[in-house]
Amino acid sequence: MTGAAWLLRRLVASVAIIFAVVTFVFILIHLAPGKPCGQVGGGEYQDPIVCAQLIHQFGLDKSIPEQYGRYLVALAHGNLGYSFSLHRPVQDAIADTVPFTLQLAGAALLLDFVLGLGLGIYQAVRVNRLPDIVIGNVTLFIYSLPTFWLALLLLLIFGEKLRWFPVGGPNDLILCPVVDSLHCVADRLWHLVLPAATLGLVGAAGTARFQRAAMLEVATQDFVRTARAKGVPERRVVLRHELRNALLSFITRFGLAFPFLLTGAVLIETIYAWPGMGRLAFDAILSRDYPLVTATALIASVVVVAGNLLADILLGVADPRLRVRADTDLVLTA
Amino acid sequence: MLRRSSPRLPVYIVLVVAALAACERRGGCTGPYCGTLVNAAVAEPGTLLPPSSEDIVANDIDEQLFLKLADVGMSENTLGDEDFQPLLAQKWEWDGPLTLVFHLDPGARWHDGRPVTAADVEFTFNAYTDSAVASPFRPKLHRIASVTQRDSLSAVFRFRERYPEMFYDAVYHMRILPAHLLRPVPRDQWRTAPFGRQPVGDGPYRFVRWQPAQSIELVADSTFFLGRPGIRRLIWRFTPNLQVAIQQVIADEADIREQLVTPDNVSRAREAKQLAIYPFRGSVYTFLSFNQRAADDTTKAHPIFADREVRRALAMAVDRASLLKSALDDLAKVPPGPMSELLWIWDPDIRQLPYDTAMAARRLSALGWRDHDGDGVRDKDGQPLAFHILVPTSSVLRKQYARLLQAQFRAIGVHVEVDELEGTVVNQRVGTGKYDTAILSRNNDPSPSSGIAQSWTRAGFGGSNFGRYYNPELERLVDRAVTATNRDQARRLWRAAMETLNADAPGIFLYALDNVAAVHKRVDNVQFRPDSWAALLRTWRIPTDRLIDRDRVER
Repeated sequence: MTGAAWLLRRLVASVAIIFAVVTFVFILIHLAPGKPCGQVGGGEYQDPIVCAQLIHQFGLDKSIPEQYGRYLVALAHGNLGYSFSLHRPVQDAIADTVPFTLQLAGAALLLDFVLGLGLGIYQAVRVNRLPDIVIGNVTLFIYSLPTFWLALLLLLIFGEKLRWFPVGGPNDLILCPVVDSLHCVADRLWHLVLPAATLGLVGAAGTARFQRAAMLEVATQDFVRTARAKGVPERRVVLRHELRNALLSFITRFGLAFPFLLTGAVLIETIYAWPGMGRLAFDAILSRDYPLVTATALIASVVVVAGNLLADILLGVADPRLRVRADTDLVLTA
Repeated sequence: MLRRSSPRLPVYIVLVVAALAACERRGGCTGPYCGTLVNAAVAEPGTLLPPSSEDIVANDIDEQLFLKLADVGMSENTLGDEDFQPLLAQKWEWDGPLTLVFHLDPGARWHDGRPVTAADVEFTFNAYTDSAVASPFRPKLHRIASVTQRDSLSAVFRFRERYPEMFYDAVYHMRILPAHLLRPVPRDQWRTAPFGRQPVGDGPYRFVRWQPAQSIELVADSTFFLGRPGIRRLIWRFTPNLQVAIQQVIADEADIREQLVTPDNVSRAREAKQLAIYPFRGSVYTFLSFNQRAADDTTKAHPIFADREVRRALAMAVDRASLLKSALDDLAKVPPGPMSELLWIWDPDIRQLPYDTAMAARRLSALGWRDHDGDGVRDKDGQPLAFHILVPTSSVLRKQYARLLQAQFRAIGVHVEVDELEGTVVNQRVGTGKYDTAILSRNNDPSPSSGIAQSWTRAGFGGSNFGRYYNPELERLVDRAVTATNRDQARRLWRAAMETLNADAPGIFLYALDNVAAVHKRVDNVQFRPDSWAALLRTWRIPTDRLIDRDRVER
């Protein structure tokens, strides 16, 4: 099987996975108890008569197979439906939020990998010495913290008490309602610090432990011993020989990081009032906004599947042993 | 070289970002009409189209965008018309017992420049009462037969019957809509109409922008016919978490949080030097609803709560004052019936069942509910005296109350399970009658007439009378109170109605929250009208010597 054929096969499988996820979520959310008529604020409930009228208006009184059929037809035409909680087309709502989630996930991913990788390497180089032990315990502590708790803590200390960073939101609503200048770009980055740090720190703690273990495993390999025996400088041994080989596990973790970032973002976006897709999905689930829930699941599954596909491709690029062979699928020969 | 300097790079990046972010543009506004107020709101509206928007934040924003013909005054008196303040209607007169004529202010303009006319008023009434619009306000307008235009500035309301709150019904529930913009939109598509996200109103503020999940911004209409608003810009900032919203106000990133909700939040806000605290009467009461129909078969009577005497005994077993003290300290009051302090019928002297656990226990025993098997739970004919309390997971307060009630009922041999479920599930189960008891809240408008009738009489069957409580004597008293010709007579009748209801114990009325707001101290002339805190925002001011950076910013 050629690389192109393998890719095609993976793409077809990816589409099938995404379809299955969408179908599963569609059925599950429709079967879940609760209706898309909830509380309307102040503890007041929506009038059941008005609620019944709205359910009829949006076709929610039809059978689930009929609704699903209609949904698929609309989806085939590129129509994700209409959000009844937001009173607007789902694609508009998604389009508004995706950039924010990408910014948050991107910043968190960057922090996660840069910091995690750096700490992991540093620990591996100083294995079983004081810095390794200290960093190991600190990363374990951070990794074991609930993300929402860390978010609230950072917000309390750096937002409310010290006032170093803004308390939620993606930008200064008065000076920068839209990002149209360098100042507003900086303002956006400034608002990004705490949410990205919350997500990124927890991720970096995991990455560091992961990377340390991978480095130590590679360090015992013959080619590393040979390099040292040949008199290759230590820095070169670590960066060229150990790190390059230990990066394979890092790439695998890269693929796995996407679901973590998307699920973590639900809490972080809610606490930091970050207008991303995680918060959109969370609110949609609470308000039983079926089209919006299904659409966010669709987007999330696309991102996760794409992330894993990208990781597989990168693994093949990074390690010739893992490349696709003409007559088999992806084969692990190592 | 590069390698040696690279560890400093992140530091430089942080410093540059910090410097740029800290470098605010200095604005130029310095006059008496400057000012920006940021409200830390915990919910985002779905639409700003008034007949379709029933959530509180939408109402607060619509107060600024769309005018009513007239509005209640600070007295919250809903009887007659003497305490009402003119808005779109410059004046009004009665043309016979069933006909009310409003004369519109000729200076009133839509924000696109078109005049507001009687045709808009007629169009608005027809829209609110059209079933295709599915407006939650429609039932409140059923006693108005028609609205027509006499001339371009005169709208004529004709009523089906005569009653004291005719004027209130005519003006309070409807915000006048621009017919020229909404007429082309099919009525069954109003909930999804783009107008709801880009409204054109006639109020003191114009719509500027809506950034989904972030904020809604309004700017003062400097030509507003009732006088230029004192604050130039209003921003509703949406933060889904109440605690974070309060942190924003404390950290001086927002100016208003109209409800602090818990004693802890109030004391934190008091410690913030820039904040002033404003208590005002609350509009919400919370109660434990007894379902009088069986949870598993709503056609049958509930095996426990269909019995009035059991309900009364259970109500007497609850020490509401101590529950309130423990959960809310002095931030709420025990309601003397199904009402918040907003209602003018609020009277602590209304007769209520006493807190008396000994009497409660005796009554249950007399009814045959005894602990026959010695397991600590009363039973009768093999059925334990046990039930479930339904509460939404989103409400910390109601969950706390459920636990406290559980403990108090346990003391008289009643077993209670607390079911904490998601808000939509609670709503569905309560709406379909599939519950034993539930801790519910009700938001009052200033009139007792519609709210009490909808929640506690037959008129609310299939609607908001979830527990299906019915007492013909109460119905008679409510009917008489609604049609009473003067306030004293109405008060007496409402009191009798509430005492009848309390004696039946269709629920246990737990607490009526007082509202406590935090507002930045630089704001002057802060007034909260209890039924709608934002109703008087246009009269708030920021003196020129108290302006801060965000007030001066020009864009």
